[in-house]
Amino acid sequence: MPNPNDFAILFDASRCIGCKACQVACKQWNDLEAEHTRNAGGYANPPKLTASTWLAMRYYEGLRPDGEPYFDFVRGACMHCTHAPCVASCPTGAMAHREGGVVTVDQSTCIGCRSCVRACPYDAVHFDEERGVVQKCTMCYDRIANGDQPACVKACPTDALTFGRYQELQALAQERVRVLQARGYPRASVYGLKELGGTHVLYVLTDHPSQYGLPAAVREAEKRAMGGWLSAGIAAAVMGMGLKFIVDRREAFKGGRG
Amino acid sequence: MITLNFPNPMGEEGWGLWVALYFFLAGTGGGAYLISVLYCSQERVRRAALWAFVGVVLGSVLLILDLGQPLRFANLILGGVYPSSVMWLGTWFLLLSGAGLLWVMARPTSRGVQYLVAFLVALVVAYTAVLLTATARPFWNASPLLPWLFLASSATAGGALLQLLAPHERLKRLVVGMALVEGLMVALHLLWTYPVAQGAVLALLVGPLAWAFWGFVVLGWGIPLALERRHVGLAAVLTLVGAFLLRYFVVLAGQV
Ligand code: SF4
Ligand code: SF4
Repeated sequence: MPNPNDFAILFDASRCIGCKACQVACKQWNDLEAEHTRNAGGYANPPKLTASTWLAMRYYEGLRPDGEPYFDFVRGACMHCTHAPCVASCPTGAMAHREGGVVTVDQSTCIGCRSCVRACPYDAVHFDEERGVVQKCTMCYDRIANGDQPACVKACPTDALTFGRYQELQALAQERVRVLQARGYPRASVYGLKELGGTHVLYVLTDHPSQYGLPAAVREAEKRAMGGWLSAGIAAAVMGMGLKFIVDRREAFKGGRG
Repeated sequence: MITLNFPNPMGEEGWGLWVALYFFLAGTGGGAYLISVLYCSQERVRRAALWAFVGVVLGSVLLILDLGQPLRFANLILGGVYPSSVMWLGTWFLLLSGAGLLWVMARPTSRGVQYLVAFLVALVVAYTAVLLTATARPFWNASPLLPWLFLASSATAGGALLQLLAPHERLKRLVVGMALVEGLMVALHLLWTYPVAQGAVLALLVGPLAWAFWGFVVLGWGIPLALERRHVGLAAVLTLVGAFLLRYFVVLAGQV
């Protein structure tokens, strides 16, 4: 669980109009370059996060099984996880939690190994080829540490984004879900309460997380690594002994000792 | 700011050719040492230690060159203690096993020391798999079999390397046995991950990575198995090629 007083952002999908004001504000405040992209037939652009796109809206449209059309928007950016896989996988301590639970990368110590890029379940951290280090959302640490809101939150025209203390926003999110469920969204839920020890960015969704392309089963990197070591230990023991047995046995047979 | 732009088929952000090559070098050299410790005479152990040392050192150089900031590589060792980071653990395994292998090479050592170094080398081989398992990529993390696959492949390739240098009947059986385990692991891993990593598995079977996958299956695995009886040398060379292709397609498929 994040600390009750940690910084947090609440994204409310039921209020979002998909206008990308947050996305543009992020680029402007953080001085991130525009990208050359191609029209891929959807509204999302750029299609995925990169070293110079830390926040990008994603769009999902289609027909529900009952024939109702849907058109959903969701924020794509770092979730500032409490048990962050990027932090766990970083070999230099460059990727770390700062005061207030925010995850940022220290660009003067990052060696550009890209472990964090592979570790993030939200594809939120990326390699900057020019600088040789990784880049990601900082929750506008330079702003919030000075009492301001993140640029994306400030720019949002519909109150779909709120910035505040974790405890307050968590309560707000749960209240909002109650309202939505009463209004005829039975699948409304808060995403990010349980994921990776609780994320500092919470989502209010009107539908199942998979409908928004959010990974449902995320696991801590430490647990995955432990599983890997366990598997490796068993593999080494079994194969080592198996080989020894086969080779020795065959040798013995040959020698006629059976 | 120094970045070395080696051609990397995944783009600079991905883990590509250099990482695959490193996995191959460390895996093959390491496998040769592990096998020799378990099954060979003192003389051969020391020779195999040399190969493992070369693999570990060359591999480490490739790893450093692959970094976005190669000159900061010392941060890996001096930056602090991060046991939850498989990359950090691997760095120490490389360092310690390199020192251990030097020791084994330098002077006749007791069996105990050789086993201790073998343990470190096994950790190097295993960590390359755990590094992938600990990520958020389904092709790497969905099955627990990558460590099995990499260990089996290291044993096969290490055995093949020893065969190339000095063929031996026992080695032949070992290589064949491990190659069979390796083949089984590849098949099981693909079956296991298919439901969650369809794109990756299809890329291997019929997509852009098919050349590496089928190259491994046919050239690096099937033919050597068939040739094992008659052309030991050729079979060994092909097995080594296969071991590289295996690392290559596993590393790339995880990032499709
Ligand atoms: S969302 Fe990704 S980059 Fe952000 S803290 Fe979590 S693991 Fe790290
Ligand atoms: S790329 Fe940088 S921040 Fe990411 S894991 Fe490596 S050293 Fe840490």
